[in-house]
Amino acid sequence: MKKTWGSLFILTLILALLAGCGGGGNAKSGSNSGGQTGQNGSASDSGSQDEIVELDLFINHSWYPVRSWTGSIAEEITKRTGVKLNVTVAADSEQLPLMIASGDLPDLIFTLREPRLENPDMSYPWNELIEKYAPDFEIDPVRLAVNTAQDGNVYTVLNSFATPEEWASNPYALGNDGNPGIAVRQDILDELGAKIETLDDFVSVLEQVKQKYPDMVPMTMDIEWIPQYFKMQFGIPPHSSWHEQDGQLKHIISHPKALEFYKFMNSLYRNGYILAENFTYSNDQIDDEYAVTGRAFAHSHTVSVAEADNAKVKNQGGNYQFTMIPSALTDEAYNLSTGTGFSGVYITKNNKNPQKSIELIKFLASKEGLELVMFGIEGQHWEWHPDGYPVFHYDVNDADYVNSEGLKWWYLYSDAIVEGLRGYVPGTQTTKALQEIKEITEHNPAIGMVKLQDGTDEKVIFDKVAEMVKTEEVRIYLAESEEAAEQAYQNMLKLAEGIGLSKLESWATAEYKKMQELFNQ
Amino acid sequence: MTADTNTTDAKPIRSSLVWKRFKRQRTLHLFVWIGILYLLVFAYTPMFGILMAFKNYTIVQGIKGIFTSSWAGFKYFIEFYNDYKFYDIVRNTLVLSFLKVIFTFPIPILFAIMLNEAKNMAFKRVVQTASYLPHFISWVVVLGLSFTFFSSNVGLINQLLLDWGWIDKPLPILTSPNYFWGLAVGSAMWKEAGWWAIIFLAAIAGINPTLYEAAQIDGAGRLARIWHITLPGIRGTVVVVLILTIGSILGGGLVGSNFDQAFLMGNAGNNDTSEIVQTYAFKVGLAQGRYSYAAAIDLVQSVISVILIFTSNAIARKVSGTSLF
Repeated sequence: MKKTWGSLFILTLILALLAGCGGGGNAKSGSNSGGQTGQNGSASDSGSQDEIVELDLFINHSWYPVRSWTGSIAEEITKRTGVKLNVTVAADSEQLPLMIASGDLPDLIFTLREPRLENPDMSYPWNELIEKYAPDFEIDPVRLAVNTAQDGNVYTVLNSFATPEEWASNPYALGNDGNPGIAVRQDILDELGAKIETLDDFVSVLEQVKQKYPDMVPMTMDIEWIPQYFKMQFGIPPHSSWHEQDGQLKHIISHPKALEFYKFMNSLYRNGYILAENFTYSNDQIDDEYAVTGRAFAHSHTVSVAEADNAKVKNQGGNYQFTMIPSALTDEAYNLSTGTGFSGVYITKNNKNPQKSIELIKFLASKEGLELVMFGIEGQHWEWHPDGYPVFHYDVNDADYVNSEGLKWWYLYSDAIVEGLRGYVPGTQTTKALQEIKEITEHNPAIGMVKLQDGTDEKVIFDKVAEMVKTEEVRIYLAESEEAAEQAYQNMLKLAEGIGLSKLESWATAEYKKMQELFNQ
Repeated sequence: MTADTNTTDAKPIRSSLVWKRFKRQRTLHLFVWIGILYLLVFAYTPMFGILMAFKNYTIVQGIKGIFTSSWAGFKYFIEFYNDYKFYDIVRNTLVLSFLKVIFTFPIPILFAIMLNEAKNMAFKRVVQTASYLPHFISWVVVLGLSFTFFSSNVGLINQLLLDWGWIDKPLPILTSPNYFWGLAVGSAMWKEAGWWAIIFLAAIAGINPTLYEAAQIDGAGRLARIWHITLPGIRGTVVVVLILTIGSILGGGLVGSNFDQAFLMGNAGNNDTSEIVQTYAFKVGLAQGRYSYAAAIDLVQSVISVILIFTSNAIARKVSGTSLF
């Protein structure tokens, strides 16, 4: 009892503190899982002899961890290309729209796809610049298709993308941390003598934990990562808002397996394996506290959850370990990657030196450029393993070192394969989980290319449905009986229909067909 | 008026009189003009933004887009009316607001009277300080505290009730729609009652003490003195505060904070009772970049507010003879 009160008190203090400062901190990129190697153009030795050209670069990500053109990678790029960048990182998300509205643009802008920059009055089309200044800079057709703007020009090529073929051709290129995973307490699993190989195993272990350790919460879930892992087990794309059904693009809530998935989630709640409160956590730290203070058996978050928890437990002097459960617990397990890339560089009409700008990108897109940015200087920072993956001389997860050297973050042009290789660390639980996910992943960038434009009716419907689903979904999770859960699900579909889902779906299907044609060309 | 028309030379005399009076009161005028300037700059000027509610406005058009964008008429008002949550959120806004006025308005008055009657100065001071301190705690912190107290798994209250055997299942205070209104009104009361008691304490201090002495000599007991002297003595203050309260009723009245509470303590679990007009305007309007729609939603609330303040003012004038305007 004394102990309970003691830990209660400590938890109380921690939570009170967290409530005050929760929120920040998790602005990490979320760079997509897409990705690969760009072109085959070899690095040109352009320009290094000339005098150095300074260009202004605006990075439209206020969370960006590198803020100046310093570190060995930046120096090396300047040495190779003769370009030095004066970097400005956005103060907030309104800065770029304001710059666009006022016409006061820098030389280069690194941002998510920005349709307002995609016209010849705002930016130089890459295709024109390549023709004029860098005719040997080749970009593969899939990447061109994905990045072609409405007017047929290519104004940027997004990084962090790879074609399905590129993914298939490199076994060491894995997705990133933006993939779901669940970790469980190995010591308790051993004590129970249980194994988790199927979804039924997992549920029965939760039941045993509930019986034998009544003070523990069988499973705690990160507020951002509640449904993904289980959607994956039921064969529902965990990250996409869409799924394809008989050639039609449908909203994810009407997936044929959705009802089964929701009923399963509801049963977890009704059987007392998860807390109702878990759906209302106001920050993403509470679940971590449950896990690393020994109050929870299973912890659902991303593929790195076991290692992250273990590190914290070790720091606190705990003597237990978390282990990832398999990424696929059912035969239906399925992951869909619809990524079309993360961010790209726009060369604006104000650019002082379009030639140097496209040459810089050409260098970054070359094999040397890609490896320099993602891995570092060969020999000094890393070297190839005979099996074909890089072995690093530094800790790739040491953010301070990586940021100070400018590693990774100058990926103004990059691809998901080199990025994926950077995450391949043999023998770790995270790598194992990512490999398991890779096996069940399908790629369909055409879905990712169905993009809603601001101010359109479709966007309004989509946003309204998303907002509605946020609350209606929880109503299903927390229903008091299976019948009530089913009813809540049907009600959610009805509401979506009322908001105009059919209209949205027929628009999306039409767009999707257009995009598929682009790929087939 | 008539004096002006009678004589021709009356005018300059008059205006010089006005000028003299103005010079005498110039310090007071300065105060007034600062207030008026403040209202003009921060309250009246931005009101042109209301135009947005009737236009197809997007933020990229900048400020001038408010005038140059095309007219949308009542499109956004109709959209709001047809929203599947319209009735729920209007009901929640009204119920939460009225509950707050009914429960939180009398508490500071009672509290002030009780404090006034306390004879031990040290006790009085400690109680007063302790009761108005929560006013300075932000709602974000209150949310953290409420989690610590009411969480069904780690909350102190649930732990105690379970330990004492009063309940066999933890109460879902933070996640069930049945508890939200109580939670909101209770926490607002805890946070603001002590603060607002100060204004009533000040009013009580202004009552002539000879009245109490006279009443005492006449044999009035403590309750009789409160009833016949204290309460009538602060009636004017009570009515003014009540009118101000009703004017801001949809924001939570005296204790304010409807938005903070609904936004912070509201969650997917208790959404049925916690979603109010303001949070909805934020979620489906501002957060999605639909400024016109957000403006329309909020304008609906403003119109209801204006009606309420005129009504309450009229009623106050009739009932008590005191009114704001």
